[in-house]
Amino acid sequence: MLRKLAPSCIDINSAYCPCMLADTNNCNVCSQLSGKDLCECNWSGLCILYERQWQDKAKSCRSELPNLRQESDSSITRRELIAPETYLLEFAVSDELAQELKKTGAFVFLRRQDDPQYFHFPVGVMKVSQNTIQVVIEAVGPKSKRLLTADLITVRGPYYNGVFGQPWIDNITCGTILLIAGGMGQPPALPIAAKLRANDNEVIAVLAPGKIGKIFIDSELREMGVTVYCIDSMRRSGLNELRQWFDADGLPDLLVSAGPDEQHHAAIAAMQAAGVNLPMAATNNATMCCGEGICGSCECLTKDSRTIRVCKIQTDFIQLGRIDPQ
Amino acid sequence: MIKVVIAGGGWAGCGAAIAAAKAGAQVLLLERTDMLLGTGLVGGIFRNNGRYTAAEEAIAMGGGDLFVAMDANSRHKGISFPGHNHASLYDVNTMEPLVRKVLQNYGITIKTQTRVVDVQKYGKKVQAIILDGGEVINGDVFVDTTGTAGPMGNCLKYGNGCSMCILRCPSFGPRVSLVARAQVKEVMGLKADGSFGAMSGSCKLNKDSISQEIREKLETNGVVVIPVPENLIRTGTLNKKACSQYAIAEYAANLVLLDTGHCKLMTPHFPLDDLRAIPGLENARYEDPHAGSQGNSVRYLGIAPCDNTLKVEGVENLFCAGEKAGVFVGHTEAVVTGLLAGHNAVRYCLDMKYLELPRSLATGDIIAFVHEQMANSDGLKLRYTFSGSVYFERMKVRSLYSSDRNQIGERVAQCNLTDVYGRCLV
Repeated sequence: MLRKLAPSCIDINSAYCPCMLADTNNCNVCSQLSGKDLCECNWSGLCILYERQWQDKAKSCRSELPNLRQESDSSITRRELIAPETYLLEFAVSDELAQELKKTGAFVFLRRQDDPQYFHFPVGVMKVSQNTIQVVIEAVGPKSKRLLTADLITVRGPYYNGVFGQPWIDNITCGTILLIAGGMGQPPALPIAAKLRANDNEVIAVLAPGKIGKIFIDSELREMGVTVYCIDSMRRSGLNELRQWFDADGLPDLLVSAGPDEQHHAAIAAMQAAGVNLPMAATNNATMCCGEGICGSCECLTKDSRTIRVCKIQTDFIQLGRIDPQ
Repeated sequence: MIKVVIAGGGWAGCGAAIAAAKAGAQVLLLERTDMLLGTGLVGGIFRNNGRYTAAEEAIAMGGGDLFVAMDANSRHKGISFPGHNHASLYDVNTMEPLVRKVLQNYGITIKTQTRVVDVQKYGKKVQAIILDGGEVINGDVFVDTTGTAGPMGNCLKYGNGCSMCILRCPSFGPRVSLVARAQVKEVMGLKADGSFGAMSGSCKLNKDSISQEIREKLETNGVVVIPVPENLIRTGTLNKKACSQYAIAEYAANLVLLDTGHCKLMTPHFPLDDLRAIPGLENARYEDPHAGSQGNSVRYLGIAPCDNTLKVEGVENLFCAGEKAGVFVGHTEAVVTGLLAGHNAVRYCLDMKYLELPRSLATGDIIAFVHEQMANSDGLKLRYTFSGSVYFERMKVRSLYSSDRNQIGERVAQCNLTDVYGRCLV
């Protein structure tokens, strides 16, 4: 198994590569497509510079840009209040998009169909069944509140970097995984648990109601065969729970933290206190506006003093510098 | 025990591995692809012109194992073709397993399909190298023989695109330079027009695809020269060639074919349709590069600044050899620089004075001369080899050229370097 994740672009060699960053000489992977004279990549896959050359040729005989994410309209078919200010939404998308959203860490941008583009905000996908998508939103800001006022919405996607350490989740088989999820970390925890179970892993979930005040994925997790522990508060009792797992003889192979950054940091601190160093996956909570690496709102400083835009760059959460709450 | 880690299993890396093992070190040789020898898998020419002198110098200095292996595996010896005398051609199809055995006999650990992607540096020392997949490999001293060719983005920008050559970057991943990862600024070779890089100088046809008459002649004589019809002569490619010893007018007016196991065609690339217009080559097809109609690998993009002991400037425990160490062309040049780098790597660990070869030997003179020449941009436009072009002329002028084995042995003895690579230092 890999010991450390090399930072990489989540979209590399996908249908969305090379992207606008390559067009503007800012590619995260290809040195030549970021203004240098020579190849300096570590990437063994399709050469991005080459791919761009062939796609340029293809573009000259096609009108649309093939590697831009498209927007599509949809109507909300289910809106259910599951906790105060917290809603489960269901809507239909094209079969292709539904298929593409089945990957770990997938998310979409949503807005009211008649609103301007800057109302778009990122929402993690909780469940995909056929071409129906389920998401959970917390209606707290102007964009999320506004989405609830109309039935017709615009969906843009797919985007993939919803989970730091996504390769850990996709590649582990027959392992033991400790999954902690609090509050709004529950919706992304559901597809992660499903993926882990599909690869014959044993999953132990510790769930807390968090700020929204409700645990709502416990029964579905149990149906998947996950061992579920529900606790009152991650802060008060959850971390003790973690220590118990780290002190036990059989250490888990992977720790997954779904929830706010404070929870991720507390999990890292608990590991350090117990003297263990497990691979860790963590949900990506960065503020995002465009999702394409262009706007810069998701920029983070890494421990080795590089700035990366985490809407696209895949890395270990522990590599990111800590932004202490004010 | 001293641990020497060598990145790059071409001829230079193999030379470095043997010298380090003979000097008493534990040697780990890492290679990105599934076979050793790099472009030596499709080369084959040695002992032509001054390369004879260089090979005999290496043998007299106790580092002749690889040349002995090449000699033992030669299809032809002592042949002449335009501009070149007493050349030998080793069989490219059977050379690699033989070299692997030679290295294994010295206890060298060879790891193929093992690509280096980064270095861990502390102060002015490399502490470890990191492999694709995250594994960390520690060592006392490191040798960069990763070459200067490719990867495909470079071939696209400075050549005619990836021609699917023996380096097989798309399959095994791009070459990563230890020197560049250690934050040392590399130097780039230039074409005559001032653009970066140079294109490999020969391609190979499948021998079964050429006429029986040419094939038989080739197998008997080792060489066949076919005049190119007037309308197909292209002189433009000569300036772009890496192998300036073959960039002479005769190679534009004639197709020079050599029997190296493949039918070696001494031109960087040639449109297949034109090639097939030449009698005897009506059914020809390329063996390497697969897209020989279109281009060839581009090299000399990433030469390490180093001194004449082949220690990389600015890093205490990193040495380099082959193309990485200067604008050198050829297997012989790779092996002799490899031997020196591997030997000096062990001297580093023992706190000994580094070996610098004297200028009274061709090997010592070429290293010093190339480094002098590389100081200016005109020098970077030339390529240096014992077998032709500027350096062979210099060898003749300075009486360094000799095809007399005894005389070469005496010269080495006069420098007190007899068997210097053969002695265990530890």
